[in-house]
Amino acid sequence: MTGSLKRSWILDILMLPVGIVMFFPFYLIIVNTFKSEHEAISRPMSLPGEWVFDNYKQVFEQTPILQSFSNSLILTVCSVLVMVLIGAMAAYPVVFNPNRLNRLVTLYLLAGFMIPFQTTLIPLFQLMTDMQLVNKLYGLILLYLGGAVFVFFLMMGYMRTIPKDLSEAAIIDGCSIWGIFWRIILPLLKPITVTSIIFQAMWIWNDFLAPLLFLSSRSNATLVLEIYKAKGEFTVNWPMFMTMTVITLVPIFIFFILMQKQIVKGIVGGAVKG
Amino acid sequence: MVKFLRYLQYEVFLLPILIIYTLFTIVPLIRSFELSLTDFNGYSTDYHFVGLKNYIKLFSDDAIVSGILFTLTFALCSTALITVMAIPLAILLDQNFFTKHIHRALFFFPSIPSGLLLAFIWGFILSPVASGVFNTILREVFGLGAQPWLSDPLLAKLSTIIVAVWAQTGWHAVLYLAFLQSIPKDYFEAAAIDGASRLQQIRYITLPLLAPAMTVSVMLLLTGGLKVFEIPFALTKGGPGFETHTITQVIVLRGISETQFGLASAMSVVFFLIVLVIACFQVTMMQKREERIQ
Repeated sequence: MTGSLKRSWILDILMLPVGIVMFFPFYLIIVNTFKSEHEAISRPMSLPGEWVFDNYKQVFEQTPILQSFSNSLILTVCSVLVMVLIGAMAAYPVVFNPNRLNRLVTLYLLAGFMIPFQTTLIPLFQLMTDMQLVNKLYGLILLYLGGAVFVFFLMMGYMRTIPKDLSEAAIIDGCSIWGIFWRIILPLLKPITVTSIIFQAMWIWNDFLAPLLFLSSRSNATLVLEIYKAKGEFTVNWPMFMTMTVITLVPIFIFFILMQKQIVKGIVGGAVKG
Repeated sequence: MVKFLRYLQYEVFLLPILIIYTLFTIVPLIRSFELSLTDFNGYSTDYHFVGLKNYIKLFSDDAIVSGILFTLTFALCSTALITVMAIPLAILLDQNFFTKHIHRALFFFPSIPSGLLLAFIWGFILSPVASGVFNTILREVFGLGAQPWLSDPLLAKLSTIIVAVWAQTGWHAVLYLAFLQSIPKDYFEAAAIDGASRLQQIRYITLPLLAPAMTVSVMLLLTGGLKVFEIPFALTKGGPGFETHTITQVIVLRGISETQFGLASAMSVVFFLIVLVIACFQVTMMQKREERIQ
């Protein structure tokens, strides 16, 4: 905006209290991980009187946090990779070989945006039980693949910007349709693939409802589900619970720092197309 | 023949998504409609067509009625509050000040972790006992008594909405910020030459040009708000009583836990219609608004 080229200290001072309010919950959990149970209850806001590091040791010893971390990782990586692949595959004929059938298929797939997961939940539960996919990581991966519709939508928009001559030239040179997709189109999709991966990975990593319903045993629990189960166990032991939360937040924070620009770009790209 | 073969080769690419989507989205959707008209209880294979009985039952079930009411309240209030706060925040974060990058990150970060985690952290802050963090602040700074933040019907509702606003305002401010940065600087310069004050510039340039961003942001907030589950579930478990029950929680409770599949399916269908009607209405209204002010 005009006149804002000169930096002023006024906004720094005005924004400070708001920033503190935003940060306060994070300060609170970090500081309490270094306290004893008693001190966390009696003096929750102050810095630890005596620094205790035992909570971290205990969380790793008493909870299957590493197991659930690897479950979350497997679930997210597998779902997202397959989802991106089948989403990109589906966009290919729609953009490069448009015909009436493909237009109908597009409409059919886009209808998925209007269907909340909750509406399909009861029949899905039945279906998963019948197919014996409950309490299996690959069962949940299969379920998450439905999210490919969003990837398809992003990919379709991006693919339209790729010149058609490219694939036509390759056909004349004798390249197969399958070959064109793998060797020419797919490598060109890198920017939108990054956006798709970030969005879908955040969704699956953070999802609570599906793991709650479809993963029953503790050894299969995702990190978010494990936090929920631990909350039940440590009802009174706040420092333990907070330590677990902090450990969970560390990888998320690193992801955030590394990806902040990409996430923002994705939000904007997705919003403009939506 | 060659042409037809090539055509087929193309169509093969659509198969995986069509199979997955049909099996895991469309079939269950149709089945939800079907189940909602039966008395299916999840076990017995002998179930009957009961017409609209489940739909009538929805409105005599206290948990369900308050679930619907609270979900609507939550969606509307959080959307309104976040929108009213995100736009000024975006304008502030667009200014040039020393800590702007720190502030952008600070507001944005809560939208990255799972809502469940954030709500648990807030559960500690809002703990209704006198030693709860928020109650301690109230007592020592303002000299007020302890408030039952999560166990009073009104305060519990307010608490869930506050947590949602805290968690999501930054994300939406970033969305508005991106649109703000795409407004050409000349507009403001020209307006300044014509003698428009800073506030007039915001009123007549910034806000109208943010209308498309607003349509998207409000749509995401409303649909997301209607699907809310984690924050109230982690903060209050839906209590006190059924005061902060959500539609999703109702479907899980009546459907999966109590295996009243027919009743829960009727709830699912009603939910589908609510989301559809509200989303369509909102987008049409706001697109008309965009046309009017531009």
